Amino acid sequence: MVQTMPKSWNKETKPHMFCPGCGHGIVLKQLGFAIDKLNIASNTTLGIDIGCSLLAWNFLNINTVQTHHGRTTATMIGYKTAKPKRIAIAYMGDGGGYAIGLQSLLYAAFRNDPITVILVNNGNYGMTGGQEAPTTMPGDVTPTSPEGAPEFGSGFKGPELVASIAHEKAFIVRATVSKPLVLNSMIDKAIENQIKNNSFSFIEVLSICPTNWKMNAKQCFEKIDVMEKFFPTGILKGER
Amino acid sequence: MKNFRIVISGEGGQGIQTIAKIISNACFRTGLFCSFLPSFGVEQRGTPSVAFLTISDQKLLQPTFDIADIVMVLSERALKPVVKYINPNTTIIFDSSTIAKESLPKNTFKYNAAPMAEYASQKFTPKAINIIATAVLTRKINLNDQNVWAEVQNTLGAKFKDKEIFRINKEAFEFGLYLILETEKFTKPTFQTKHKILYFKGHGKSAEIVPERCKGCGICILKCPVAALKFSQDLGFYSLSVPHVDLEKCIACGNCKNYCPDGAIAVEKDKIISDFLKQEQK
Repeated sequence: MVQTMPKSWNKETKPHMFCPGCGHGIVLKQLGFAIDKLNIASNTTLGIDIGCSLLAWNFLNINTVQTHHGRTTATMIGYKTAKPKRIAIAYMGDGGGYAIGLQSLLYAAFRNDPITVILVNNGNYGMTGGQEAPTTMPGDVTPTSPEGAPEFGSGFKGPELVASIAHEKAFIVRATVSKPLVLNSMIDKAIENQIKNNSFSFIEVLSICPTNWKMNAKQCFEKIDVMEKFFPTGILKGER
Repeated sequence: MKNFRIVISGEGGQGIQTIAKIISNACFRTGLFCSFLPSFGVEQRGTPSVAFLTISDQKLLQPTFDIADIVMVLSERALKPVVKYINPNTTIIFDSSTIAKESLPKNTFKYNAAPMAEYASQKFTPKAINIIATAVLTRKINLNDQNVWAEVQNTLGAKFKDKEIFRINKEAFEFGLYLILETEKFTKPTFQTKHKILYFKGHGKSAEIVPERCKGCGICILKCPVAALKFSQDLGFYSLSVPHVDLEKCIACGNCKNYCPDGAIAVEKDKIISDFLKQEQK
């Protein structure tokens, strides 16, 4: 018997609701493997945001909270304060994390709140049709930037900003779906940082969006190579 | 002209809303009154999408309805949201290549069917299913086909700049107009997602591919370092091809398992052999 998916995935809700080839599937798979490896499925709560990330509401076999748009970080901090023994993971997209929920994220890093934030960055607002987001790379054509996103005011680098004010114990990293094994070890470290150091950890994952980029698998991974040059991956703060 | 209350339902992305848009605009062209209500939620993609159409030669006072005259269903999952609009007088037009007649509600007596998805994939492109369905619906409600074709060109104008796409769609539309609908004997739904898990064994490795979950994105094929994966004839979740693995070439690196967003594929080395190797190492 070969195991095709993590044990912590909810088998009844598969096939899931994400588009074919969606990066969310890859990120949630590595999150699932990390939860399996650390054996924390019964002890974890996942908070999800509005946007494409909300389609993960019944994705994993762990307790899940659906929060308001951009308030996932804030809700999970409240949850962690009330139940310090549980492990709180906030899962959001770039719209929820940077466009509307940035202040919650910044203060969570500043106060070193002991939660793990996973932010999936695909460079657009996927669920509403791929409009220009803060993270759209300069020059990219979207429905709301038909002549290409402007040079100034696009390509928001979140982890750099968060790392610049974060507590010294915080773990801040940018990973990518084109290297899933690295992503897996980063999620491992981020959750362990919450458990052992009782500190804040933040992972931005560069992701693909075949539907809204209007690309096939090959073109998507070519584009993510370009994105990795613009958004350098690696550990920005914390132990290596 | 009779009044028609129509529900069109299918997989998100099949072109359900496009069919309804074309038909409703063609009705306006003919001088009929028409209302079109699209219905899809936050989960617009990858879940059933439904369109409600009301056509009448008199002014419409109420666009919503409880019972439909015609229900068009293009995928098996899309049956669930439309069951409540069906009563014994409703005519159901379904895609007999993907839906078995037995899975339709029991309280219905009027059926029309055609293996539209199969024809679209084999004769044209899989995406042409909505043009065939438009043509079938046009004939069913006696609309002027010239008007409808003009409206198809109007709606899909930007895509029709490519002459090949224009030719395929024109042929598909004409094919749909003269498609003979099945009424008593139905084609067996051979063009369905394979529900069995595909097992592969040999060369000290075993692989598992789950067509029910595979969405045919092709990431595993792209990321396979030895090109052991290839699209096959078996069909997956969106009636798209599922990859097969050539275990002779495969090196069991696990890339496909790590990349697959749907959890549909994995290859592992057989345990007996790895135990044997462990003993040898000792």
